[in-house]
Amino acid sequence: MSPLDYLMIAIRVAFSAFVPLCFVAVCVWMERRGAGYFQDRSGPNRAGIFGFRAAGLVQNLADGLKLAFKEDIISQHIKHKFFFVLAPVIVFFTAVVSFAVVPYADTLVLNGKSYMMQGIPVDLGILWFIALAGFSVYGIILAGWSSSNKYGILGSLRSAAQVISYEIPMGLAIVSLLIVYGTVSLNEMAQFQGKLLFGFIPMWGAVLQPVGMVIFIIAAFAECNRTPFDLAEGESEIVAGFHVEYSAMKFAIFFMGEYVAMFASSSIIVTLFFGGYQIPFLSTATLLNWAKPVAFLLMIALPVVMYFFAGWIRRSNVSHYPRENDPRVFEANVYIKCFWGLIVILELVLLAILFSPSGGAAASIFVALLQICTLLLKVTMMIFVFIWVRWTLPRFRYDQLQKLGWQMLLPLALLNIFITSAVVVALS
Amino acid sequence: MGATVKTIERKGSSLIERLYLIEIFKGMATTFGHLWRNLADNRRLYVRHYPEVQPEIPVRWRGRHRLTTHPDNTVKCVACFMCQTNCPANCIMIEAGERLDGKAEKMPVKFNIDLLECIYCGYCVEACPVDAIRMDTGIFSVTGNKKESFVLGLEELLTTPGAFSEEEYKKGGA
Repeated sequence: MSPLDYLMIAIRVAFSAFVPLCFVAVCVWMERRGAGYFQDRSGPNRAGIFGFRAAGLVQNLADGLKLAFKEDIISQHIKHKFFFVLAPVIVFFTAVVSFAVVPYADTLVLNGKSYMMQGIPVDLGILWFIALAGFSVYGIILAGWSSSNKYGILGSLRSAAQVISYEIPMGLAIVSLLIVYGTVSLNEMAQFQGKLLFGFIPMWGAVLQPVGMVIFIIAAFAECNRTPFDLAEGESEIVAGFHVEYSAMKFAIFFMGEYVAMFASSSIIVTLFFGGYQIPFLSTATLLNWAKPVAFLLMIALPVVMYFFAGWIRRSNVSHYPRENDPRVFEANVYIKCFWGLIVILELVLLAILFSPSGGAAASIFVALLQICTLLLKVTMMIFVFIWVRWTLPRFRYDQLQKLGWQMLLPLALLNIFITSAVVVALS
Repeated sequence: MGATVKTIERKGSSLIERLYLIEIFKGMATTFGHLWRNLADNRRLYVRHYPEVQPEIPVRWRGRHRLTTHPDNTVKCVACFMCQTNCPANCIMIEAGERLDGKAEKMPVKFNIDLLECIYCGYCVEACPVDAIRMDTGIFSVTGNKKESFVLGLEELLTTPGAFSEEEYKKGGA
């Protein structure tokens, strides 16, 4: 193996391990500030370092520090301490690892060797995700059972029942998708979605399988224990559900695991239904041929976008009450300068690509980076949908949840399989 | 004499409503409208920028207590125990002593109010026959590091000034 091979392994593993973790901070920030803005309030925006609040992102740091320094309590009545500690680990680990098979760029060809751009370069794809998504419920069951607490066990029971019943519609939705794509590899699915339907519509899973998409997204909400299916927690009924007995960092691991799971499901939804890393109308081959014009267009577009973004920062980051020498104006100016600095660096990188020899490694890397950005943008939008739904819908009652799962989604998913296979057989 | 009965139409039985998804999208459109409005211009958030902007306290608002004084800065309280008897939370503890300046027969030697017990009902103010205790300081947030620091003594009660003028307070209906 050449040094390049080792470097590529390190980069790919680091990407799939650390990007979900970094997104935890973004998710929590989006959730809390987004919740505020959805409800016409402002959300946590006061925590700051030397007056720099970073629009509330510093709050995450403060919360993290608080949880890290809290006393880690394992109360006396807990008999099985090993399982008690193991439970959050399972939830967090399965969530992180399930992102490992999501391709974040098309197969990268460097020096004649091709590299699959995913954490674990295997073709298991969607099977790996289903296996791990099912496994994460063990963490929740174990947490509820080992904490010897009636609220804990009730919460974990609800969660287990919910995840198991929604796994079936989810699996069936995937079956109909497999009929369309003819593969289990997520990378091949994403490549398939780069084609065009009738020559002008991107052949995304959302276009080919709208019913499957709706079923899968609903089931993914249930799998992540997100509203409207967050029965595992319920302040008025079962306190905090399965994590009542957890405190400090063990609770934080549960909390982060939930957001990492949300990130992983969002990326799976995006890969299955919204074209994965594909930029609409620009397949990998087109991008490779047109790398320089695309880089040039980006060079023009970036400052324009930044100009409006800077205006928005300046308008938003001021004190909305009379204040002498408003420090937030200074703060906004610093942010704007930082962002302009970032834009200048990006422009230099794009300029380097513009002057690099055509058809070389630079173009391939540029395309891979573009596709990574596309995937992360799409995933962020999907996470936003998760948050958006949470602050729109109330929680389902338990019987309504089971009724929806077994009596609506299951028959719908079966019907979808029949229709899909009939159409596929008729067309081929 | 029939009462006017208004029959409210029950929603949720039509096919479109039972599909549920369309109604969800309508709800999401509503919430997104709020998000967009606030993102575009965050001056429109319905918030007070506390603690930089303090709320306006009206005259009749019951804040922290104080004891009033005569014009010559002697305590008005006659230690009649009316407030202590009336207090539903049992947070007032008075110890009476003899008064020698001729204004009354008794005066408080100790006058403690435990703010952790107090429910801010204002019964003490209503019970007082000589208008000696008032809740017009406008203080609404009481903080401390120790439990003991929440027990107000005679000195503290006498030195806290009222937040309003005498006319305003009288107009407030006290």
